[in-house]
Amino acid sequence: MTISMSVFISISRTGRSITKAASPCVMLPSMSLLSRRDGDLHRFSLNTVLREYTTSPLLHKKAWDPSLDQYKYWNREESKKGEASYVLDMSPESIQKEARILCLAAEDDHANNPLTKGVLPFGAKLLKSGLAPDDFDHDSIKEQMPNVLFVSPSCPHAHRQLPKMLNLFPTIDWIHVRSAGIDFLESDELPTVLNTRPNLVMTNAKGQFSSSLAEYVMMACAYFAKDIPRLLRQKGAKVWHDFDITELRGKTMGIVGYGDIGRAAAKLASVYGMRIVALRRNPAKSEFDPICDEVYGTGRDALQKLMSVSDYVVCSAPSTVETRGMVNADAFKASKKGQVFINLGRGPVVDENALLESLKNNTLRGAALDVFATEPLPPDHEFWDMENVLISPHNMDKTATFMHEATEFFVNENLPRFVLGDALLNPVDPSIGY
Amino acid sequence: MLVTPFIATAFVRSISTARHSSSKASTFARHLPSLSPSPSLPAPASRKFHHCAFTQRADMYWNRETSMPSASYEGEIIREARIIALSDPNDAYNLPLYNGPLPEGSKLLAVGSSVEDFDKDEIIDQKPNVMFVSHPNSRGPLVELLQKFPSLEWVHTRSAGIDFIASEGLAKSNVALTNAKGMFSSTLAEYCMMACSYFAKDLPRLMKQKNNLEWEQYPVLELRGSTLGVVGYGDIGRASAKLAKAYGMRVVGLKRNAASFSDPYCDHLYGIDGLNSLMAESDYILISTPLTEQTRGMISADVLSHCKQSAVIINVGRGPIIDENALIEALKERRIKGAGLDVMTIEPLPKTSPLWTLDNVLLSPHNMDMTLTFMRESTEFFINENLPRYLRGKQLLNPVDKAAGY
Repeated sequence: MTISMSVFISISRTGRSITKAASPCVMLPSMSLLSRRDGDLHRFSLNTVLREYTTSPLLHKKAWDPSLDQYKYWNREESKKGEASYVLDMSPESIQKEARILCLAAEDDHANNPLTKGVLPFGAKLLKSGLAPDDFDHDSIKEQMPNVLFVSPSCPHAHRQLPKMLNLFPTIDWIHVRSAGIDFLESDELPTVLNTRPNLVMTNAKGQFSSSLAEYVMMACAYFAKDIPRLLRQKGAKVWHDFDITELRGKTMGIVGYGDIGRAAAKLASVYGMRIVALRRNPAKSEFDPICDEVYGTGRDALQKLMSVSDYVVCSAPSTVETRGMVNADAFKASKKGQVFINLGRGPVVDENALLESLKNNTLRGAALDVFATEPLPPDHEFWDMENVLISPHNMDKTATFMHEATEFFVNENLPRFVLGDALLNPVDPSIGY
Repeated sequence: MLVTPFIATAFVRSISTARHSSSKASTFARHLPSLSPSPSLPAPASRKFHHCAFTQRADMYWNRETSMPSASYEGEIIREARIIALSDPNDAYNLPLYNGPLPEGSKLLAVGSSVEDFDKDEIIDQKPNVMFVSHPNSRGPLVELLQKFPSLEWVHTRSAGIDFIASEGLAKSNVALTNAKGMFSSTLAEYCMMACSYFAKDLPRLMKQKNNLEWEQYPVLELRGSTLGVVGYGDIGRASAKLAKAYGMRVVGLKRNAASFSDPYCDHLYGIDGLNSLMAESDYILISTPLTEQTRGMISADVLSHCKQSAVIINVGRGPIIDENALIEALKERRIKGAGLDVMTIEPLPKTSPLWTLDNVLLSPHNMDMTLTFMRESTEFFINENLPRYLRGKQLLNPVDKAAGY
C-alpha cells in the first residue's frame, strides 16, 4: 500500500540537520520521528497534515515534466493552500535564498496590494514597483540584484517593457505573471532574450479563474438549452406560451483546449450528465482522466471530429502561434447542427468572420462570447445585433476579488516556494505560449 | 506510530460497510454495483456514482436518471390490470398507453374526460381496477369515477403534482395513489442552477448593456461558496442540491420530516420551524415543495423579510406557495435581489401582473420541465415500471400520501 507523501524529513543521529542531501529538503529539526535506513530517506505521512509537496530541483529548469504534472499546477479550489508558507513559518532557517522583487504594474492597481502593501514571507522583499524600465533604472536597485519580476496586465505595453527589464537586470531568474494569459507579453525580442537566460522560470495564474469560468460555461449552455432569448422576448411582449425546452443531460460538450479551465467546465458538465470530448496538445496526459469520455490531439481532423459530435463547444485554448485562427470556416462547416459555441479563451483563436457566417446561416444555434479579437468590441460589430449571441465584456471571471487572489497566490504560494528553493507552481513555457 | 494510519483506515472502512448492509433491503440494494460508496460519504465526482443514497422511504421513489433498472418484471403475474384513462384521447404523450403494447395481463378499457365516457356496459362489466389520470380537469370526474367503480384499486397520475386532483373524496378513498416523482427532477435542477447563475453573472445588466451597445466590465459573483436553501427537500430539491454541491455551494434544506433524514448533498436540514433561519442564511432559495394546505402561502411577507438583500428566490413548486403580492413588493423595493419563477398563482399569468415588467424577474411559462419527451417518459414509467409491479402484486413506486397531499 503506498502512502501518499507529505514532507521529506531528514535527520541525522546526532540531531543536527544534514547539509548534504539528494534533493533540497525541508528541515524540521524538532521532528525526531524517523530513522535513516540504508541511506534512504524514509517517508511517512503526518497525522494532521497530508501534503503532496514535491521538492525536486529539476523542476527549476524544465517547465515540462509530464510525470510530475499533477503537482505543478495550482487550482484555487482543489489545491491545498499555504503548505509552503506553513513550512517557512515553522522553520525560517530553511530558506535557501532571498527574493528581491520588482513589480511591473500600474500605480493605481489595487489588486497588487497583497504584494505592495501586504506582509511578505520571510526572506522576500519588494524593491520597487513601477510602470516602465526607466522607473527602475537606479544604481541602488541594480546593486541589490533583484531576482524576481512580478508582471501584471495593468502595466501598459508590457510586451515592450519585459525584454528591456530582463536586459537591465540580468539577475532576474523568475518572472511571475499575475494573469493566466501570457499572450500580452509576446514580442519579437522576447525569445532572443530568453534564449540567453536558460535558467529563467516563468509562472502564471493558471487555476485561479477556472471555477468562475466553468460556471459561465454551464450558464451559457443553459442559456440556449432553456432558450432564455425566447423567454426574454416573450416577457417583453407579455406573451405566455409554453414551449419545449432541451435538457443538458445526455448532450455532448466538446472542449477545445483541455487545460485547467476546460477541466473545471468538464467537471460541472459531467455532473449534469453530459458527455465530454476534449482536445489538447498532449492527449496522452488525459488518458486516465475519469471526466472526459474521449480525448483528441491537435490537427484539423481532430478539431472537425470534435465539432461534428458536440452539441456545445467550449473554446478555452490560449492564444499561441499554433492556436490563432484555429477554429476556422472548415471547423464550423463540420459543426453539428444546432450547436452552441462558447469562447472564453482568447478571441484570436476563432476566426470571427467564419463564426459570424455560421451564426447567420443557422449552422450554429447560438454563441456565447466573453472574448473577442478586438476588445472592447466595436459598437458597429454585427454581434451586437444578433439575438442568438450572448456578449459579455471579458468579465466572466472578474469577481470582485479575483485579481487580489491572484496576487495572494504569488505571495502565499509561489514566493515561499522560491525562498525555500522548491519547485514553483504553474510554470509556463513562453516559447509555446502557455 | 507507523501502524496507526493503517488501523484508522481499516476502522473507517468497516464502519461504512456495516452501515451500508444494515440499510433496509430494497429493490435497489441488490442492483447497486459492488463498488458503491457508503451512504455516509459524499458521492465522488465520477459520473459512475451518481446514484441515490437515500434512507428507507426513498427506495420507493423512482428517479429517471439515477434509479437502476428495477425488479419490476420479477415474479409471477397474480392479477390482471384493467385500465381506464382519465385523459384527453388526443394527447400524443399518452400514445404508449393508447397504442401499446401493454405488459402481459393488462389492457386499456377506455379513455375519456368525464364519467359519461365510461358509462358503458362493456366497461362496467369488466370492473376496471386501475386508473391513469392526466386530464387537467380531473378533480371532479376522478371522485365520481371512484364512486362508480368500487373495483378501482390504484390511481396513477402522470404528473408529479397532485394538487390538480386533490379533494376530500380522493383523500377518503381507499385507492393507492402514485405519481411521477423523479421524472422531472434533473431538468428542474438544471433550471435552478441556470436561474442562480442568471443573477450571479447579472444577466439583466448584460442584456441592458447589449441593447445599448455598451462594453463595460463589471464584477460578477461566483456561486462557489454561496448558500442554496432548498425549501422542500424532495427529489427535485435533491437533484438541485447535487448540482449545487458540484459548484461548491453550501446547501441547506427544509423538510417536513427532517428528523431521521440525512443526505450527502445537504449540509444542514431544518424542520418546518427553521424556515426563517433558512431564508436568513441563503443566497439562493429554491422553492420545491408540493402545494398542500400547509404550504399554501408559506412564503409570506414576514418570511420574505428575513431574506438577505442579495437573495434570489426560485420557484419550481407551485405559485400559491409564495404570497405573490408580497414577493412583487419585495422585488419592486429591491429588498431581495431577484426571482426566477416558473410557476405562478394564476397561469397563464395575466397581462396586468407587475411580474412582466420587473427587470429583476426571470419568467418562464411553467415549461422548465417541458422537454419533448418528459410526458411520454412519464407515461412509459407507468407502463414499464409500475404496471408490471401491480400485475405481480409488488409494492408500487412513487406512492403519494393522500392525507399529506404529496
